[in-house]
Amino acid sequence: MRCVLLVLSRRVVRDNFVISKKEAFAGGSSAYNAKHKSRASNVQNFVLLFFFSLLFNSSGTVLISLSLKSPFFSTFSLLSMALAFDEYGRPFIILKEQEQMNRLRGLDAQKANISAGKAVARILRTSLGPKGMDKMLQSPDGEVTITNDGATILEQMDVDNQIAKLMVELSRSQDYEIGDGTTGVVVMAGALLEQAERLLECGIHPIRIAEGYEMASRMAVDHLEKISKTFEFSLTNIESLVQTCMTTLSSKIVNRCKRSLAEIAVKAVLAVADLDRKDVNLDLIKVEGKVGGKLEDTELVYGITVDKDMSHPQMPKRIENAKIAILTCPFEPPKPKTKHKVDIDTVEKFQTLRKQEQQYFDDMVQRCKDVGATLVICQWGFDDEANHLLMNRGLPAVRWVGGVELELIAIATGGRIVPRFQELTPEKLGKAGIVREKSFGTTKDRMLYIEQCANSRAVTIFIRGGNKMMIEETKRSLHDALCVARNLIRNNSIVYGGGSAEISCSIAVEAAADRIPGVEQYAIRAFADALDSIPMALAENSGLQPIETLTAVKSQQVKEGNPHYGIDCNDIGTNDMLQQDVFETLIGKQQQILLATQVVKMILKIDDVISPADY
Amino acid sequence: MAAMMQPQIILLKEGTDTSQGKPQLISNINACTAVVDSVRTTLGPRGMDKLIHDDKGNTTISNDGATIMKLLDIVHPAAKILVAIANSQDSEVGDGTTTVVLLAGEFLKEAKPFIEDGVHPRNLIRSYRIASYLAINKIKELAVSIEGRSFEEKKDLLQKCAATTLSSKLIGGEKEFFASMVVDAVMAIGQGDRLNLIGVKKVPGGNMRDSFLVKGVAFKKTFSYAGFEQQPKAFSDPKILLLNIELELKSEKENAEIRLTDPLQYQSIVDAEWNIIYDKLDKCVKSGAKIVLSRLAIGDLATQYFADRDIFCAGRVTEEDLQRVAAATGGTVQTSVNNIIDEVLGSCELFEEKQVGNERFNIFSGCPSGQTATIVLRGGADQFIEEAERSLHDAIMIVRRALRNSTVVAGGGAIDMEISRYLRQHARTIAGKSQLFINSYAKALEIIPRQLCDNAGFDATDVLNKLRQKHALPSGEGARYGVDINTGGITDTFANFVWEPAVVKINAINAATEAACLVLSVDETVKNPKSESAQGEAAASAMGRGRGGGPAFRGRGRGMRRR
Repeated sequence: MRCVLLVLSRRVVRDNFVISKKEAFAGGSSAYNAKHKSRASNVQNFVLLFFFSLLFNSSGTVLISLSLKSPFFSTFSLLSMALAFDEYGRPFIILKEQEQMNRLRGLDAQKANISAGKAVARILRTSLGPKGMDKMLQSPDGEVTITNDGATILEQMDVDNQIAKLMVELSRSQDYEIGDGTTGVVVMAGALLEQAERLLECGIHPIRIAEGYEMASRMAVDHLEKISKTFEFSLTNIESLVQTCMTTLSSKIVNRCKRSLAEIAVKAVLAVADLDRKDVNLDLIKVEGKVGGKLEDTELVYGITVDKDMSHPQMPKRIENAKIAILTCPFEPPKPKTKHKVDIDTVEKFQTLRKQEQQYFDDMVQRCKDVGATLVICQWGFDDEANHLLMNRGLPAVRWVGGVELELIAIATGGRIVPRFQELTPEKLGKAGIVREKSFGTTKDRMLYIEQCANSRAVTIFIRGGNKMMIEETKRSLHDALCVARNLIRNNSIVYGGGSAEISCSIAVEAAADRIPGVEQYAIRAFADALDSIPMALAENSGLQPIETLTAVKSQQVKEGNPHYGIDCNDIGTNDMLQQDVFETLIGKQQQILLATQVVKMILKIDDVISPADY
Repeated sequence: MAAMMQPQIILLKEGTDTSQGKPQLISNINACTAVVDSVRTTLGPRGMDKLIHDDKGNTTISNDGATIMKLLDIVHPAAKILVAIANSQDSEVGDGTTTVVLLAGEFLKEAKPFIEDGVHPRNLIRSYRIASYLAINKIKELAVSIEGRSFEEKKDLLQKCAATTLSSKLIGGEKEFFASMVVDAVMAIGQGDRLNLIGVKKVPGGNMRDSFLVKGVAFKKTFSYAGFEQQPKAFSDPKILLLNIELELKSEKENAEIRLTDPLQYQSIVDAEWNIIYDKLDKCVKSGAKIVLSRLAIGDLATQYFADRDIFCAGRVTEEDLQRVAAATGGTVQTSVNNIIDEVLGSCELFEEKQVGNERFNIFSGCPSGQTATIVLRGGADQFIEEAERSLHDAIMIVRRALRNSTVVAGGGAIDMEISRYLRQHARTIAGKSQLFINSYAKALEIIPRQLCDNAGFDATDVLNKLRQKHALPSGEGARYGVDINTGGITDTFANFVWEPAVVKINAINAATEAACLVLSVDETVKNPKSESAQGEAAASAMGRGRGGGPAFRGRGRGMRRR
């Protein structure tokens, strides 16, 4: 027997399949049976074995790449539809194309689902926290994205497995609702699934587990409420808001100037916020980026920047106290929408037509001048003739400005969008203190700044950075920071970060578990363990000893009854998050826990997966 | 010799599949049982979900019997009957779709040994019909009316019914929350039959507790043009104008052409067109409306025009949303802007545009007629919200049903056990074969509590015996005992508010019996070959025949060709 195995394994090595002897042993008997078949089938068998053994005892990374593809699961668990046979022993066709359906049911389905979910979580795990790593993603058409934003990573990964897709949506919905914590929520869900797998093996009913998780999540959310703090801020005192935004930014690549970026984010949000209604429309904050310059050059413009320049190079580059006409009609002779034709049969008629056209241009420009506009911003283009005329009359103009930007300009300058020259009146003009064209570096790129607007309720964040990827990542990071600031305006409660809130919840849930009778107690305890996985991942990513660190912090929390102790990721020397000023929003944290529990419940509740066969 | 040479009479087209007689009946029953097995595990509060993934990449996660049956795409002719009854249950009462399939399957299963023993199916059918008649009468007798109670009390009772339905669903954890929402929504539309007045909007993100009920209408912000953000986003007591016309600068008549000979007239044509649209807009403004909604597009010109006059507008509002707004605000949808009188304008107490998750929503609340409600569902994933919507649909139907003929019975298998007991008792009074059949019908009814136990992982036999003992008590006090899903024992489910409207049970038993009888009455299937128009199919089946293989070959042949 042993000799056969050795021969086999040597043969496998010859076929370039690196496989350890131990693994060959594990699949010994089946390999032995296969001996009598052709050599090709031996190899095939080993390929399969290789997959099997990887699933059970190989490193995480390989597993990820394999288990994300659903066909893999089907190779070894191809349970076709429950077949019924008629009196001649022929199978019925009950379902359409039933031979081509794959079906997984019962515990197999749950296990397969759980491992898919876990695989996704494992990918994101290393991105968590200030020392988390970034992922580089290449899209099918070669575009590269570098990010550590959970939602973005998952979005770009193009996941195929159904359950993995659920995790992607989980992250996305955290993104929609809160905007931050997209990585944490997936890691949390992964940990919950991992714990559930253990419980399933003990033979606990999946729904009992899910119910236990639900009870536990409610306890955790209540506990978070208890340890949360509200803090005050006002338009002048923004320090606390900045601190929270900094916590968010610290895990991003831009953390070297997190202070300035956080300040920009907070100021931008406060500028557009409606503090009475606690409503912030993030659409009013425009985030614009341009390659070149340093990250430190990123600035907040109380106004709008437009990536356009004056329509004529000789127009003035700087206009003070500008009165802006915002037009959505082209500088062209108007055209009726109905099909039309002008019949010209004489030279005189042609000349009148020509003259009339010129008259139109003249009228339009004159009209703008008459109402007192000193700048024209137009959604459409204009003829060279009009351009020339505008130049001659000393009326600077910008053409081809997009609808969204036009709207923002209108809001910022307090002007009205005018769809027709006849409607132009002095009241409809927007006002801006200064409009200037700015060129960057040695490039010919120019941008138009519209600043000191009448109404500063539309602002622009202008990002500079070394390369496109950097700018894109900064945009995403700033988006997170903006969302955090918005959430704080909605609800100004915070909890302490660095895993301290999770540890505190874990302790609370663990303690509460003992008071719950029934099977749920196990699930609740498992939930507490799962909560630990976030600080654990934080410690791991920071290069600390995960278990040692976690236990130390936990005991410290219990001993001193202080929920502020977390993981000292940045090696500052204290693990009191109060002193480190690491805050997170309460609603963000609560949402993470609730969403993760919800999705885990959904996954656990599935016992039957019917999918079309591999294509 | 001559007789042997007699040509075979070809009655049916070549390729027709026929089978008949007893084996055919048995095989039909087997097919139905196979289908029932696939939905079996979804029953009850500990029922599991199915993830069904089709080749177009759509994924559905559901616990709703009708949805699963629909998505399974069943082609077996006998098994299709089960799909039909699940659908009919869904459209008739909305809930109990798994129950009805399960019952039908179990009736057939119980009939199988009799058929094998040579009982004529007609005998069975007759007895089953009698049994179902008796069972339904018994349910009516046992049902408890909730009529004649105060409004508050009734609301409370309805919530109990809704909660029972929801307990088996994915949103079961928040069943009280959703039950009260559903009851509020149904109460809001009153006795009206128009279920489409309850709108369900889905917004991914947030958790399910963030779902909310708007007593009025809510819909997602529609596509907007530049200028929209400058419109005011909140009004109190606005007047609402509903339109079904385009407010855009466009050619008034298709295929019309204008010929000009004098260039000087050009301007007048341009002006004429502008005047048409300005005239329309002006009339809208003059009507005094503060909110203008249209089913068709409201162009950029109109958007800016309204923005200029502090009017809110939204174009391309979907038909059903517009109808709902019309019903809620008391307005009428206009197809012209001429002669707008005050009566056709709707009104509401408060209108605002609000951020919900990643979307902005237009919300009309405090509507005068109050006969609409919109449930905005939130949840972590698309599939989650889809399933939540299906669950809420079930609950809404149940509440409506219960509201109309307000009798309820004890759930959790209690009513099934009680009918079963009653039928067994009745069977003893019958002399003849029918005694056996009614007994087996009674046994089939026990599948409900049995499956509840199986799904929850309890010892079904043990629980069932306890239940039988309770129900057999002569005093009748045990009639409301059902499965206790939490402890694995038995409990008075009526006292624990596990309630189902009686009509659900009546309909389920009716439909299941009908389906079972239908399957039993078939003794021959003639399956015509696939029509010639389906070229590929026919070729594949010809190939299958040529090789002498059965349907299995056929399928594989197709699969290979596609690759």
